[in-house]
Amino acid sequence: MTNSQDAPDGGAPPRGRLAERLLPGGEEPDPRFTLANERTFLAWIRTSLALLAGGIAIEAFTSDLFLEPVRKGLAVVLLLLGMLLSAGAALRWLRVERSMRHKAPLPLPLIVPLLAGAGAVAAAVVLVFVLWR
Amino acid sequence: MLSLVTASALYLRWLPHHGLPILLLFAVSAGAALAIYLTQRRRYGASAYGVSRERVDADVNAVLWTAFAGVALGALGIGVVLAA
Repeated sequence: MTNSQDAPDGGAPPRGRLAERLLPGGEEPDPRFTLANERTFLAWIRTSLALLAGGIAIEAFTSDLFLEPVRKGLAVVLLLLGMLLSAGAALRWLRVERSMRHKAPLPLPLIVPLLAGAGAVAAAVVLVFVLWR
Repeated sequence: MLSLVTASALYLRWLPHHGLPILLLFAVSAGAALAIYLTQRRRYGASAYGVSRERVDADVNAVLWTAFAGVALGALGIGVVLAA
């Protein structure tokens, strides 16, 4: 997920229009940091995919455990969380990349409390219905 | 890429429960995995070359397309679940 080409004159190669627009100014950070930022993004995407697949699974396979509204509600919560994580991972990647280009402090990970909070709520709902049933 | 392939296989597993709409999820997931597979050699080469000359340009397009695939999968999944 990285690009690199030498400029014909040996200087810094031109960046794409989208990169210039979304990551303006600053200078290229240490390549290890850029690659680490991408690895973190991909880790969030894997988490998101697990939630997306889990949402469909809950709807398909828990008909004997949950009432239909609860089942659908849990599935939608998981799918929404997966969507938010995907979008949030991209936003975080952009914010971290911008910070690194400008040698600024890294932003706080806002998707961590989102995932923790939603995970806790989903677990609480499941626990209540398993005990109540 | 392997995560997307695994997810696409799981979607196929749920075809009997959700019907044909689940094929949309499979198509998006498998399509994203295929796109990553077809471009990974070029991206790996660019990264390795970038590390050797200590300059790696961030690939904004790849990140945004990957995130878009996740958002699309979520939106389609919600549609499938609510329609079931």
